[in-house]
Amino acid sequence: MSHSVLSRVAERIYWLGRYTERADNTARLINVNTNMLMDLPTRRPLGWRPLIDITGSGALFDSLYSDASERNVCRFLTSDARHPSAITSAISAARENARTVRETMPGPTFEYVNDLHLFARSALGPNLSRGKRHAALEGINNRVQRLEGFLSQNMMHGAHWQLLRLGSRIERADMTTRIIDVRSDDLLPPGHDLAPFQEIQWRSVLGSLNARQSYQAATGAPISRSRVLEFLLREPGLPRSYAYCLSAMRRHIRSLPRHEAPLRACDQAAAFLASANPGALDGESLHRFLDECQVQLGILHEAVTNTWFRVPEDALQPAPSQGEIPFGSTRLMPPESVPPQREGSPQ
Amino acid sequence: MPINWKQYQAAGLWDELVTPSGRARPGAGPLLRVLSRLTDEALSERAAAAELAIRTMGITFTVYDTGQPGGIDREWPFDIVPRLIRKREWDAIAQGLAQRVRALNAFIDDVYHHQRILRDGVVPAAYIEKSREFRPRCVGIDPPHGVWSHVCGTDLVRDQDGALYVLEDNLRVPSGVSYMLENRAVMKRVFPELFKDYVIHPVDDYPQRLAACLRSLAPEGNDSPQIVVLTPGIYNSAYFEHAYLAQAMGAELVEGADLRVGADDCVYMKTIAGRVRVDVIYRRIDDLFLDPKAFRADSVLGVPGLMRAWQAGNVALANAPGCGVADDKVIYTYVPDMVRYYLGEEPLLANVPSYRCVEKADRDYVLDNLDKLVVKPANESGGYGMLIGPMASKRQRNAFARAVRANPRNYMAQPMLILSTAPTLAGAPGSVDRMQPRHLDLRPFILSGAETHVTMGGLTRVAMKKGSMVVNSSQGGGSKDTWILDLPP
Repeated sequence: MSHSVLSRVAERIYWLGRYTERADNTARLINVNTNMLMDLPTRRPLGWRPLIDITGSGALFDSLYSDASERNVCRFLTSDARHPSAITSAISAARENARTVRETMPGPTFEYVNDLHLFARSALGPNLSRGKRHAALEGINNRVQRLEGFLSQNMMHGAHWQLLRLGSRIERADMTTRIIDVRSDDLLPPGHDLAPFQEIQWRSVLGSLNARQSYQAATGAPISRSRVLEFLLREPGLPRSYAYCLSAMRRHIRSLPRHEAPLRACDQAAAFLASANPGALDGESLHRFLDECQVQLGILHEAVTNTWFRVPEDALQPAPSQGEIPFGSTRLMPPESVPPQREGSPQ
Repeated sequence: MPINWKQYQAAGLWDELVTPSGRARPGAGPLLRVLSRLTDEALSERAAAAELAIRTMGITFTVYDTGQPGGIDREWPFDIVPRLIRKREWDAIAQGLAQRVRALNAFIDDVYHHQRILRDGVVPAAYIEKSREFRPRCVGIDPPHGVWSHVCGTDLVRDQDGALYVLEDNLRVPSGVSYMLENRAVMKRVFPELFKDYVIHPVDDYPQRLAACLRSLAPEGNDSPQIVVLTPGIYNSAYFEHAYLAQAMGAELVEGADLRVGADDCVYMKTIAGRVRVDVIYRRIDDLFLDPKAFRADSVLGVPGLMRAWQAGNVALANAPGCGVADDKVIYTYVPDMVRYYLGEEPLLANVPSYRCVEKADRDYVLDNLDKLVVKPANESGGYGMLIGPMASKRQRNAFARAVRANPRNYMAQPMLILSTAPTLAGAPGSVDRMQPRHLDLRPFILSGAETHVTMGGLTRVAMKKGSMVVNSSQGGGSKDTWILDLPP
């Protein structure tokens, strides 16, 4: 009997990895932004809008809200059911994916996912106050970490595991480039009298990726734009750096069968990174560089989907529409979850 | 307070463990003694331990009518008092079950080939012509070993005089076997000491037996066939069981969309390594949803072209399409005749006495005695569409009388049986009637492939509501572990 992974199951597991990582990143992003704004003077040009842009959901947000107030942005990102990448939506989607592949994971996995889902639903209401927000979002982070840790220590590190991690790492790579993109390009207009606060913003970029101590330990240098960019994009030892994610993805891809096309896409992305000198790029060219990184992640995602989730017959059929393209490259969504079916019930 | 079996109220009932005078039936002594030595609190603790085990083991079934889309998972209701059957009695029952399923498979094979039994007038041809479950596409097909119903779940009941009857044979896609296995696992956690007092025959070889049965159906020349379990998906009430059996057999759990029939009429599953040939499909989907090209075109659960692949002999389907023709309450009344006709043997197990509404004398009797009978439609399952005469209103009875007259072929009737009972933890803590009798049935599973295998016991279903005889889990039924016991002679 072969021990290959069904394409349907593979796709679900991959999206389980992506969605939990997405929820985790979004929660961290909001907390870091809150902290940063507290450190800035009141008449600041910065606000909450960059978070919408980071998550690539500007068009949807603008169609639902009139202004990017703290309340609106936080609600949109944490619990707005109309937003498929809101934390509660991402966790529901993760749960639905986990539910359909329950039998392929270690016993308590679903309980952990379910616990995350129940916590998100109760802790992230539409009227979440600023006072409770921090603890609620940290609760999300802790539960995602617990799930990750449990799986890493208890799941067979076979094909299912590789797919889970692949999904999680591609999501993380995507988020890292987005955070840098928005935070570097939009932070402060040149010549603004808030220039002394530059450092605060770069510190918050590091904070979004849990990388402050790592930066200090690895560079031993004061925080500067070019060093932070270099560190977050190319540091091979930092688990959230773009380079680290790419090399992790490469390992996962190589362990799976028929990996030629995804491996090519992954190597292309790595070669592109190696050829650039991100620390030296100015605002506009850095933005173009990061945009290209995201495009390459999109190509890699397509290669993964076409290689492992679709059989050749399906490739002849038109691909399902991916919806709007709100910002830079689109944030991809999985195919719709299975509709309820009751026909054909056995005796 | 500890249980006093003298106060156990089983008068007028056949109880599986306790005689009307409050004594233990043969073999039940040690169990009743252990139970009566437990304090109230200890009993509650054991029940709580069982509940906890069920929760942590994730034993669930899905119920639909909760207003939640797709239904919700409920924990499996379980009673901690096992039901006991002596090995000697069970061996005789198992023989009878194997005999019965042999005859039923011979009947199905005959119906799709020469129809000898119809031409010889043993079963009226009109029954088959009008059967909803007869599939003309299956005519002339030769499934391996001549077996059509590879997994059969036969429901057994005991009447109030202790006589055992076959209530029905579920030949299509019977469910429940995973609960039989899980019940034993729960009991081992909850009452480990009883396993020292008793020699209880194990049941956990079932997944391996099922795998062997399925392997024996694979197309010739394949030493390690690929077996899959085909499920309608997570919203199906028996999804837990589909996943359980697939895991236990090391088979792949697939949905229709995971499978494709190639231009070579072989079945393949889509995997990350490419397409992988499938040899045997244990399908847990009804016939009509198997193949939208052959049956219901609107089915999204099935696999287009699957019937073609099966007819070409490139894949085995268990159970075979069309086997439902024998899963019919009216055809059921002929099973003893089938045993005599095909096997030349006398049936070892009795049917519940039954009346066929299509025969005038029977019909007149049924119509005159609707208040005493249970009337069943031919093709429903799960207890749907039945008239329970003694409990029905006059209006319901009149409606049924009209239905029977309009379509007599579709109905049969049986006297109302008072199902046997077993002590069940039902009373409040501290009350004298903590243990109360509850009605039950038994569903053993019979595997037929190259060989025949009958489970050691089966799934005992119990109506948890006082006086109720409805054992279905969707309607308040629970279950008990079933122990087949070796007793010293």
